[in-house]
Amino acid sequence: MATQIKLPEVAAGATHAVISSWLVNVGDTIVVGQQLAEIETDKAVVELLAEEAGTVLQLIGKPGDEMEVGSTIAVVGAPGESADVPAAEPEAPAAEAPAAPVAAPIATPVATPPAAPVAEAPSPAAPSGRQSVSPIARKLAKDSNLDLSQITGTGPGGRIVKRDVLAAAAAVIPAAPAAPVPTSSSKELASQEYSSTYSTVPHTSMRKAIARRLTESKSTVPHFYLNADCQVDELLALRKKINESSPVKISVNDMVVRAVAAAFMDVPEANVVWTPDAMIKYESVDVSIAVSTDGGLLTPVLRGVEKRSLSNIATTIVDLAERSRAGKLRQEELEGGSFAITNLGMFGTTSFAAIINPPQSGILAVGAASQRPIVVDGELTIANVMSVTLSADHRAVDGALAAKWLAAFKVRIENPLTMLI
Amino acid sequence: MTERIQLDPLEPWVEVKTTKEDWANADPKLLETMLGQLHLIRAFEEAILEIAGEGLVHGPAHSSVGQEGGAVGSIVGMRPSDAINGSHRGHHQFLAKAIAFVAPELDVTNLVTSSVQEVLQKTAAEILGLAQGYCKGRGGSMHLQWHEAGALGTNAIVGGGVPLGAGNAWAQKRAGTSDMTTTYFGDGAVNIGSVLESMNLTAAWDVPLVFFIENNLYAVSTTVAEATKEERLSGRGVGFGIPSWRVDGMDPLAVWHVMQEVEAHVRAGKGPAVVEAEVYRFFHQNGAFPGSAFGYRDKDEEEHWRSRDPLVRVANEMIELGLITQEQVDACRAQAVSAMEKVAGELLEPDPDGKPGARKIRAELWPDVGFVDVGLRSDLSEIQGAKTLEQDSFTGDKTDIRFVDAIAKAMDRRMEQDDRIIILGEDVHKLKGGTNGATKGLPEKYEGRVLGTPISENAFAGLGGGMAMDGRFRPVVEFMYPDFLWVAADQVFNQIGKARHMFGGQNPVPLVLRTKIAMGSGYGSQHLMDPAGIFVTAPGWRIVAASNPFDYIGLMNAALAIDDPVLMIEHVDLYTQRGDIPAEDLDYQIEFGKARVVREGKDATVISYLNMVNIAKEALDQTGLDADLIDLRWLDRASIDWNTIEASIKKTNSVVIVEQGVQGTSYGGWLSDEIQRRFFDYLDQPVQRVHGREASPSISKVLERASIAGLEEVVAGLEKIKEGFGRN
Repeated sequence: MATQIKLPEVAAGATHAVISSWLVNVGDTIVVGQQLAEIETDKAVVELLAEEAGTVLQLIGKPGDEMEVGSTIAVVGAPGESADVPAAEPEAPAAEAPAAPVAAPIATPVATPPAAPVAEAPSPAAPSGRQSVSPIARKLAKDSNLDLSQITGTGPGGRIVKRDVLAAAAAVIPAAPAAPVPTSSSKELASQEYSSTYSTVPHTSMRKAIARRLTESKSTVPHFYLNADCQVDELLALRKKINESSPVKISVNDMVVRAVAAAFMDVPEANVVWTPDAMIKYESVDVSIAVSTDGGLLTPVLRGVEKRSLSNIATTIVDLAERSRAGKLRQEELEGGSFAITNLGMFGTTSFAAIINPPQSGILAVGAASQRPIVVDGELTIANVMSVTLSADHRAVDGALAAKWLAAFKVRIENPLTMLI
Repeated sequence: MTERIQLDPLEPWVEVKTTKEDWANADPKLLETMLGQLHLIRAFEEAILEIAGEGLVHGPAHSSVGQEGGAVGSIVGMRPSDAINGSHRGHHQFLAKAIAFVAPELDVTNLVTSSVQEVLQKTAAEILGLAQGYCKGRGGSMHLQWHEAGALGTNAIVGGGVPLGAGNAWAQKRAGTSDMTTTYFGDGAVNIGSVLESMNLTAAWDVPLVFFIENNLYAVSTTVAEATKEERLSGRGVGFGIPSWRVDGMDPLAVWHVMQEVEAHVRAGKGPAVVEAEVYRFFHQNGAFPGSAFGYRDKDEEEHWRSRDPLVRVANEMIELGLITQEQVDACRAQAVSAMEKVAGELLEPDPDGKPGARKIRAELWPDVGFVDVGLRSDLSEIQGAKTLEQDSFTGDKTDIRFVDAIAKAMDRRMEQDDRIIILGEDVHKLKGGTNGATKGLPEKYEGRVLGTPISENAFAGLGGGMAMDGRFRPVVEFMYPDFLWVAADQVFNQIGKARHMFGGQNPVPLVLRTKIAMGSGYGSQHLMDPAGIFVTAPGWRIVAASNPFDYIGLMNAALAIDDPVLMIEHVDLYTQRGDIPAEDLDYQIEFGKARVVREGKDATVISYLNMVNIAKEALDQTGLDADLIDLRWLDRASIDWNTIEASIKKTNSVVIVEQGVQGTSYGGWLSDEIQRRFFDYLDQPVQRVHGREASPSISKVLERASIAGLEEVVAGLEKIKEGFGRN
């Protein structure tokens, strides 16, 4: 009896995914647990593993094709068996995917806190749990200071080979953010068409995801914006003092993250997410950190920030950022969170307003701290001031609540010692 | 009623005994010298047994006690330029030849001159495995060699030294001397192929070799009667047309008389002789216990033979003739014993940690462990400064030639320039250049230097080996098919391949072995191997293989110049292919140890040799793989071009070794092992291999094709390399 293999919903809420590559051919005998394909979702590349043994009878969809979640992408059966299977099997799949797959946006489970990894989406390592690496790849990675665990192996059996390391090394070279950068992918190079005035770069699925999600956010989430100027002289002094003795470098952003968590502890009613049926109230503070990568924006989630020390926040953010840039984040690390922080201060931006990352209910846009004239007790004086802009989802958070939260944040950030207690 | 005609052997078969008159007529100096040698050997053997009894001889000490008469009687009359070799039980022959070399005549009142003392010590040191031994301690009891004295080397393979002795004798005759070689072996060896093949070959070619059978009645514990029907072992000779003698080996004078007759025949160029001397070893195969202690013979028999002790026989005859007194005999013995005490004193010292009286080897006398591989091969000084050419950079006039004609042309040029070169093999002298034309024109041009052999690869390979070790000639041996290496395996690997190192690393073995791979010719399971993978396991052998006529000529010139055994592998598929060679120059060599990079690429390293180089090239074209293609040319461990391989692998990080033959005997196994250990950190995927299947190629055309690697398999191998690149 031939079995249809359906495109799994590898990321919560994903309606489509791209077949990145097939790892088997028609006629191959496969065993349970064998890698069948690599599926590129909005945020990650995951491996599709066989749940049943058999012979590959048919592969539907070429590498690069975007397929609907739940649609049949391969047929497995006994050797020689026909790939034709009854169109609508009355079996009840574990997910509520209807027999005739339609785009079925999964609306409800988005906010389920520690996102349980979907069965079909293991970590990108080899199924045995041991990542094989060719000796020269290991050497090159070491020489280039690349973390092998951040590199996806494309050699036989998922072995990380030389070309994988070279590709990863090319990817970490910082690129000018705006210019279309030719990538090393031969597939993409081949499809580039140059004219005298412009070039076209095909969208990656990440680019498409960013476009789709932010369009959706800006057009369906009622944003409103609150500004605050925070005096951060004390914060900067404290940071300097900490860094004199701390083995881990603490950034201003780390302290902002800490202050966000503290503000949520002060105003827990703001720690909510809107869903059509109910308001989800969080106990802990899970904050997304925006990370700019070559491919686009990624927002890994830092969970339980209120329980973390500054140095823990600092090291965790460094790790998440590195793995974001290497494309090695696990799917669950991208899921959940009620709030996000984005910081363009390092580019000199003084203030900006950000788009909420659904389903979260807010995002704090942090600008650069700079010396500005302020009036204290009627006297003009100079202070280091950092402007922040809170974008809030009015469905979940009203104006007063948002203002209360922002005030709490301002108190915390201007009295940084309170964050250390 | 059928008519019956009595047939007689070509040559006589006689037994010779001495009479009282013979003893009376014997030269007293001859008898004195024999007595002196007998006592020196006996005292030597007893001392060795004593040392062995203390556990200080590592390995066996095969005692000749009781058998000295045959060796002394046969060697005492030899010339220094005559040669001997022997078997595992060879102390007595070696000592007789060495002593006769330093002291042709002995004086029993002053038996142990300093040169005799030196022979005793160096021999004992060798048996103990010490640096001062004749073979620097490498040979030990069973591999005693002193070339200058004509002691070619004793041999631990039963019968293994006989073909080598034949080669030495062939060289003696070809060099125009009337010298001869005597090869000693026991009753156990008389039934082995090497001996019988050599009897046939030397008789056919009138080679001056004496087959000296020491029939001591027991092959370890197996009696002659158990092992053969014709117990009179000299009977073997007459079947081959060799005059044969039987003699009492306990009577050294009788042996001497036989050798007088033998020499008259052999030195006259009439061919070999067989001598069977009946002797008796007083002890077991090995060690100081009598055979009766092991139950295969009884004490009465041993008592009987002990009463016929050659030392006693010669002494008594001399006393009877008034040539010596018993006191003088005793004094002779005492001198020999004392000489060996002195030897022991030089080599051993009291062991303070042992029991009272215990001795140990003086630690400073052991060879340096760093010597372990020294002298395994030539240092190649013989080809230093040789002219080399490369086809890729050659700019002179060229001429186009068939591969097989290039072989004949190269051989012609070398034989013209070097009288030492001798070709031998099956049918090489006929069929207009042998079975493939590789010796075309040579038999007519070089009379007596292109030798068609009987079908006995072990004997003629060994004969070539003996020739090479003698050094006056440079044999080029041909095996019609590579698989015949198994037939000749003892001579090829145990003898030719190991001789230089085993005997101390000093004596070169310049021999070229040509053979052709014939995969694709339909000759089936027993003719179609690639020998490279087997020869590469034998460190004494160098291996070369040419993929084109230009390289062939240069590699053959190098092979013929190098003082090591060199295997030249050819391929039938290449014989008819054509290629350019220099029009005016046949004297160049291919640079030693230099591979040829046939084409350059960046993604993979394809390593191949012989016919597979061209096939690999075609496969690269088909797959579009951008690879270095390396034609090894020099294949053995010591000659392979690691620099070229290393540079390529460090560039490409992916390697495939391409060969045609089956898996089991394939060449690439050792190479891939070596590559992964040398260049592990530079590899991006496992070292890939293309080779044939598991079973030997069959006669059936389709099965033969299926069992070997061809273009399709190489293409598949290259595709596998590409898969290994990953998908980035």
